[in-house]
Amino acid sequence: MKEIFTSIRRTPYQSLTSFLVLFFSLFLSITIFVSLSFLYGILGYVETRPQVTVYFQTKISEIDIFKVRDELYASGKVLSIKYISKDDAFKIYKDLNKDNPLLLEMVSADILPPSLEIYAKKPVYLPEIAEYLKKQGGVDEVQFQKDILDRLLTLTSIVRKGIIIFFAYLILMTIVVLTTTTLFKIAMKKDEIELLQLLGASNFYIQKPYLLEGIVLGFFASFISFLLLLGMIFYINPFLSSYLRGMPVLSLNLEVYQLTVWPINLTFLAITFALSTVFGMGIAAIASLLATQKYLKV
Amino acid sequence: MITFDKVSKKFPLGNTALDDVSFEINDNEFVFLVGPTGAGKTTILKLILREYLPSSGSILVNDFDVSDKKFSKILALRRSVGIVFQDFKVLSEKNIFENIALSLKVINSRSSEIKKQVREALTSVNLSKKERVFPAQLSAGELQRVAIARAILGERQIILADEPTGNLDPKTSWEIMKIFKKLEGKRTIIIATHNTDIVNSLQKRVLVLKNGALIKDVRKGGYEL
Repeated sequence: MKEIFTSIRRTPYQSLTSFLVLFFSLFLSITIFVSLSFLYGILGYVETRPQVTVYFQTKISEIDIFKVRDELYASGKVLSIKYISKDDAFKIYKDLNKDNPLLLEMVSADILPPSLEIYAKKPVYLPEIAEYLKKQGGVDEVQFQKDILDRLLTLTSIVRKGIIIFFAYLILMTIVVLTTTTLFKIAMKKDEIELLQLLGASNFYIQKPYLLEGIVLGFFASFISFLLLLGMIFYINPFLSSYLRGMPVLSLNLEVYQLTVWPINLTFLAITFALSTVFGMGIAAIASLLATQKYLKV
Repeated sequence: MITFDKVSKKFPLGNTALDDVSFEINDNEFVFLVGPTGAGKTTILKLILREYLPSSGSILVNDFDVSDKKFSKILALRRSVGIVFQDFKVLSEKNIFENIALSLKVINSRSSEIKKQVREALTSVNLSKKERVFPAQLSAGELQRVAIARAILGERQIILADEPTGNLDPKTSWEIMKIFKKLEGKRTIIIATHNTDIVNSLQKRVLVLKNGALIKDVRKGGYEL
């Protein structure tokens, strides 16, 4: 390790160039990663907003309604169900028409239908849930805006694919830029590599210092990128709080784990730091290996 | 022992560097390779070190066939050979100690062993007070002594020197030759040179090359073309 720092000290400009390329690439990557995590969280949130609302006939008992509700929960496709009784509906009606006493006089709780507002775990379940509800006894009307849902699903699917393609492009671009920078650096050490080969150095012996230097620079570049990002997040936190008002929790559904993105929390920050460090060190190591490979033919 | 058996080396563009050359060099022998520029002296050194492969014929270095493509054997060959270049090839970013230590570091020697052996080598080339100095601060003669110290370090039984006095004045050239002379009988030494004074004075075995062919092999001779 001492030799790596000596090498960095003795070739400060080359090392600084590599560091800056790594830093800018990683800072960009980590910023985009966090932004995309938020965007994913927002997409997930928006996708759970559409709902199926089922209105029951006024004569139906609460027991029957709760039976339907329990069956829906048992299907495993439902995120939440809100029951609105006749009285609740009347309260909502009164709130909506508080400035119009005439309308209030004409309506009582008895004539308003009880209903269920159903939020699905995934929007694709909504048509299925709507069909199920239509077949239930005592159902007066099922409200479900299929066109809007279809458009939303198409849009989020495009955005998701775009995000994945953009991220893959970013990784590829970072590897290419880093490999090219490392190649320039190694090209200046061509004589040293040739000499080491003639002295009988193994390929790994030749690659090792470049690999370690890449990993060390990768670590520091990730660390500083993360600190900068942290500062930025805390700086824009009040703006985010105001912008995301009404979205209490944004999370990434990672199949095995539900990662909360918003509000900003320690787990999300720790995962971001770990990922950026592994990404930075890994990408620098890959670039060093690719760049040195060219000079290792015997 | 080094054995060249009917070795030819042709380059892709068609020029012939060596043509049907055969000779044997015994262990611990001191040999000069002489001949005009383009005669094939450097090609012979590069073939021994397996920097080049022969186009035809066979080369054995300590029973290792240099055409063998096994990487571990190539490493073993190169670790048994020390090389001194006309342009020194001393790394400017490393100090003298580090430059010489490379020879042992590539074979993963222990740090304490490296310190001991590098200091011994520095003493043998009269540079013991300059181990922390960088190459830019040394004269050409001193740089060549660094290169020799690097070449003789470790278990390198064969020392190849390609025009080691080519960039040096006569006095410094003799100082360099004295270092090689001290190794006589302990290592196999092959020196490619144009320096007639040195070859004539030392009266060692001389292989004379011309246009890629070996035209003379004199056991105790001078510089004759």
